[in-house]
Amino acid sequence: MDNKINIKVNINGDDYSLEVEPNTLLLDLLRNKLGLTGTKLACGTGECGACTVIMDGLTVNSCLVLAAEVDGKNITTIEGLSKNGELHPLQESFMEEGAVQCGFCTPGMILSSKALLDKNPNPTDEEIKIAISGNLCRCTGYKKILKAIRSAAQKMAC
Amino acid sequence: MLKRINKFEYFAPSTLAEAISLLAEYKGKAKLYAGGTDVLVQMKQRKITPEYIIDIKNVPELNGITYSPEGELRIGALVTHRQFAISKNVPEKFTMLKEASLAVGSVQTRNRGTIVGNICTSSPAADTPPALLALDAGLKLVSSTGERTVKICDFFTGPFKNILKDTEILTEILIPDLPENSGGIYLWHSKITEEDETLVGVGVVVSVDNLQNKVCKQARIGLGSVAPAPMRAVKTEDFLKGKILDEDTIGQAAEIAANESLPRSRAEYRKEMVKVQTKRALSQALKRIEG
Repeated sequence: MDNKINIKVNINGDDYSLEVEPNTLLLDLLRNKLGLTGTKLACGTGECGACTVIMDGLTVNSCLVLAAEVDGKNITTIEGLSKNGELHPLQESFMEEGAVQCGFCTPGMILSSKALLDKNPNPTDEEIKIAISGNLCRCTGYKKILKAIRSAAQKMAC
Repeated sequence: MLKRINKFEYFAPSTLAEAISLLAEYKGKAKLYAGGTDVLVQMKQRKITPEYIIDIKNVPELNGITYSPEGELRIGALVTHRQFAISKNVPEKFTMLKEASLAVGSVQTRNRGTIVGNICTSSPAADTPPALLALDAGLKLVSSTGERTVKICDFFTGPFKNILKDTEILTEILIPDLPENSGGIYLWHSKITEEDETLVGVGVVVSVDNLQNKVCKQARIGLGSVAPAPMRAVKTEDFLKGKILDEDTIGQAAEIAANESLPRSRAEYRKEMVKVQTKRALSQALKRIEG
């Protein structure tokens, strides 16, 4: 029962050809094989959103995705947001507004926000709340997170 | 923190015939896999340890939402909650199922999880079954030896239990057209926990003779999270038939629904909430007929 699977996947703009075990999770592939440790493991059951990545434009919990099934997909992790040393407006705004406390939820929170703003550049507060409802912040800093997302949306509109 | 899953062999068939034959070959040792949002959690919890995973996402026959000229809505096994909620192929009369799909999990879960998966997991607290019960949905079950269509009210047998055989695939949901002057809604509220599991869910479809007299021709009520399995409130439905749907009748119906619900934990509160939500759902469904 040792059938390795070959996959081709684009992560943060780079193409990878990889050999994975059937029971490898996307989260483990990112963290352990590729060293992309910005994606976090917390609950492991799809409740907290710390492992959120964007797959073909949609957020997914990478702890509940098999590496074997990402063949042909485009994946964005938090490491893929800055370009040429420049932070993404969301990353900037999270820092400016103090929306980061312990930081563990931040990568997932930012990717859920990015997926929202990519589709809806000018969201209402209600739409922002729904978009990040699958990302839990145990420091309870939601107000500042909301403010940071609003501020990033304004920056990106300019 | 749950991390590891057992070793297994992974198949990603590209036709339904292939998927069915794999399922027949590895009978009892294989698990069908689509969105993974339930299957992988169950594997992490060691509730299941399949030796074979059959990922059906590459099976094109299982895609799609289609609305036939006869008024039937067909939802393929791979349709995610998100795809359904934003679909333009779904006529307004079936909006209540969109409401139920949007009640499931979080954005990330809705992006991956499927309506058919929600049915197959058969959680008593699932959100789409009460709406599908009210819509009188049919389920097409296909195996290597043939196919059968069952009504969803005959599908669930207990908590996380159903009549699906280990050689069968639930390939599609078939929702029949609604009679004229019908309105439906799905209402729910959740426990305040990290997963916001539904505490009480009520799906209602009411049909009236005409908008003036509001005589109930037919009512179907699906209840979630208040019994070992999603259930139809049959006594309430019988009570409503032929009655004028005024405030008094709706209030009485809500009482009957609360009495016929079978909650185990937090029973008193859940029954009270069945009453509240059934009353709201019936009134709002009626308003939707009026438009």
